[in-house]
Amino acid sequence: MARPSDRDPQPAASARLDRPPGAALVGPGLRPRAARRRPAGWQQRHSLVGLLTIAPALVLILALTLYPVAYSIWLSLLEKHSFFPQERFVGLENYRYLWGDPEFWTSLWYGVVYSFWTILFQIILGVAAALILNETFLGRNLVRGIVLFPYMIPTIVAVILWKWLLNDTYGVINYWLLALGIGREPISWLGADHIMLSLVLVSIWQFFPFVLLSILARLQTIPEELYEAAKVDGASPLRRFTHITLPQIRGILFVVILLRSIWMFTKFDTVWLMGEGAGAGRFIRTLPVYAYMRTLTYYQAGLGAALAVIMFAILVVCTVIYFGLFREEADIG
Amino acid sequence: MRRGALITCLAVILGMSASAWGGEKKVVRIWHTETEPQSVAAFQQIIQDFEKLHPDITVKQEALAWGDLEAKLTAALAAGAPPDASHGQAVTCASFYAKGLLRDQEDIAAAIGRDNIWEAVRRQCLHDGKYYGIPHSAATSLLIYRKDIFRQKGLKPPETWDDFIKVAEALMERDASGRVTRYGLSLPGVGLFINIAVGELTAANGGRLFDLRTGRPTFTEKQVIEVLDFYKKLNDTVLPPGWLGHGYLDTFANLATGKAAMLYQGYGRGAGYIEKYAPKEMANPEHFGVMVKPHGPSGKETAAQIDAEPWMIFKNAKYPEEAAEFLKFFFKEENYIKYLHTVPIHLLPTLKSVRANPAYQANAMVRKWKEWQDMQYRYFETGRAKPTLIVEWDDLRLPFGLEILGSGIVPDMVTDAVRGMPSAQAAAKAQARAEELITKLGYKRW
Repeated sequence: MARPSDRDPQPAASARLDRPPGAALVGPGLRPRAARRRPAGWQQRHSLVGLLTIAPALVLILALTLYPVAYSIWLSLLEKHSFFPQERFVGLENYRYLWGDPEFWTSLWYGVVYSFWTILFQIILGVAAALILNETFLGRNLVRGIVLFPYMIPTIVAVILWKWLLNDTYGVINYWLLALGIGREPISWLGADHIMLSLVLVSIWQFFPFVLLSILARLQTIPEELYEAAKVDGASPLRRFTHITLPQIRGILFVVILLRSIWMFTKFDTVWLMGEGAGAGRFIRTLPVYAYMRTLTYYQAGLGAALAVIMFAILVVCTVIYFGLFREEADIG
Repeated sequence: MRRGALITCLAVILGMSASAWGGEKKVVRIWHTETEPQSVAAFQQIIQDFEKLHPDITVKQEALAWGDLEAKLTAALAAGAPPDASHGQAVTCASFYAKGLLRDQEDIAAAIGRDNIWEAVRRQCLHDGKYYGIPHSAATSLLIYRKDIFRQKGLKPPETWDDFIKVAEALMERDASGRVTRYGLSLPGVGLFINIAVGELTAANGGRLFDLRTGRPTFTEKQVIEVLDFYKKLNDTVLPPGWLGHGYLDTFANLATGKAAMLYQGYGRGAGYIEKYAPKEMANPEHFGVMVKPHGPSGKETAAQIDAEPWMIFKNAKYPEEAAEFLKFFFKEENYIKYLHTVPIHLLPTLKSVRANPAYQANAMVRKWKEWQDMQYRYFETGRAKPTLIVEWDDLRLPFGLEILGSGIVPDMVTDAVRGMPSAQAAAKAQARAEELITKLGYKRW
């Protein structure tokens, strides 16, 4: 049986409008379009006008998306100083260099660890919070506003706030942990051993509201009758979640996971501000940070561009695989 | 009638637009690293006074964190939009000079008097006999310690690194359960500060970071490896476990609040922090003193780092000439003293005449924390203070200091060592990375 998306949409639309297939849509009092006679060049001119109309948008899209990508690829083939006008074509040398660069592999690993854990917990926390905030309770609107707070404040403010809270000398978190007798020594949250954990926690806090907002919007469109019918049939809350809620939100979940994966894998500001690339920050030197450092602290624009292209390629491959694995959700999403 | 009114309106609008275009001001962008509110306010006052004399110029200041400056500056250069003038490290100034990006400042030097520039800071950005940068002020790193506890314990000033560790251990304090309540030392783990410390520790250990003739890094030499060993010992004995995640201000918070007994990378501005954050009865030089930094096992003399960013003017910026005019105005004594007094113990005068000026001397903090100022003058006058990553003044002729500073290679070397890698191996790894970077930049000469 063909799935809805596999069908030709035209017959369905025709059926809905109760008119014979193939008939053009016309306004009242107008002759059917098929019956009109047009001069031979009219069709061509009409197409040209259409093309000219969309040309500005097309040029903008090409200029703002394709050109930077193409330029990055070109740059990655050069040995180029970041601000001094010296460049030399080196072909794939930058890629060959990165293949043998331990810093690259470490950065890739840090990036994968960071993305995986932040996305996992953003989804769990975001969906859980959305389910709670979809229920009716006193002060729900206020709580809905408050939970969006982390997503609304600027990253620099969020990171400074967390660095204060997590500081091992005067941070409130350590103060409470010690006061409650949890541990004997203050934990060096921003030191080499725990900085990745701290970064993951800060990022989950900062970005789960996006998941919450997206899922909550979808939850509000699920017909209440489905839940009522399930209740009448004696379905437990867990069964209602797995059999009604989850299938209903899987489309948006697909999109949210895709977007968050792209954003977390390329996340720069939070990561950079937490560690600034060196000292303990070395242990959260993810690929975007490493690309930034190669470009603007090592001043090797070619290598920086090669790193950016590799990130882009990784994301494209992962997105294609993701779409392949979740074809049905992709259609709904 | 209606048409007449319309024409009048149009004429007025056009006239206003024309006058706006005709009278467009030159906007001079100045970046600096004095972020404290009182410094920004004093700088703004100088700007306003300058603008009164030059109605066609608007000066816009931007105060940037010290550690962020080089990255932002080079990003702006890469984007083709540098500020007109900016602070920078001496190595930055040297790199930019080597790349032909800087306007010389001979006219500014002439305006303030070439001989009036303090000899100790003249070489910060002096290339081929010309000034390409004149420091906005002068300061050195300081070894700051809790003088009261030091005296209570009857300790002697350390002369060597081993002595220093013993003193730091003696200053540590534990509670009844054995938990450390005061660490012997606090160090910043930020990349820039590790670069600074490695430079001055190498100098204090009689070593070097680069071969002057070829420019080849010398990280695998004994003196540098001993620096890494010293870091390891500090890490294992007297530093807080999370020090690699501590910023510069964290270290002052640690000292002022009694969580640490010493700072190796303290600066004069710390006096202000101490006055602000330490208990009132303790916020004085009787409790927080400075002493001469010790030397390493292979060294014989102390060493400190010069914090005296030269002003740089970018010749490809929009208004370099106007920026030069502003800097001449900035260095006029009546303006300059206002600026120096915003952080009196840290911003020591670049101009000799100002040092002797009674208006400059008439400052309560300068009198109160004189010991701190004198220590800095001592480093300067004995020639034992050098800029970041510079062991010998001639190191400034190497054109890749900026790239080494920004790359994180030196901080990574220290991080590797304190995280357990044998010092020689960490040094060899850093050496290979630095050689590769210098080669890729096209500066290999060995």
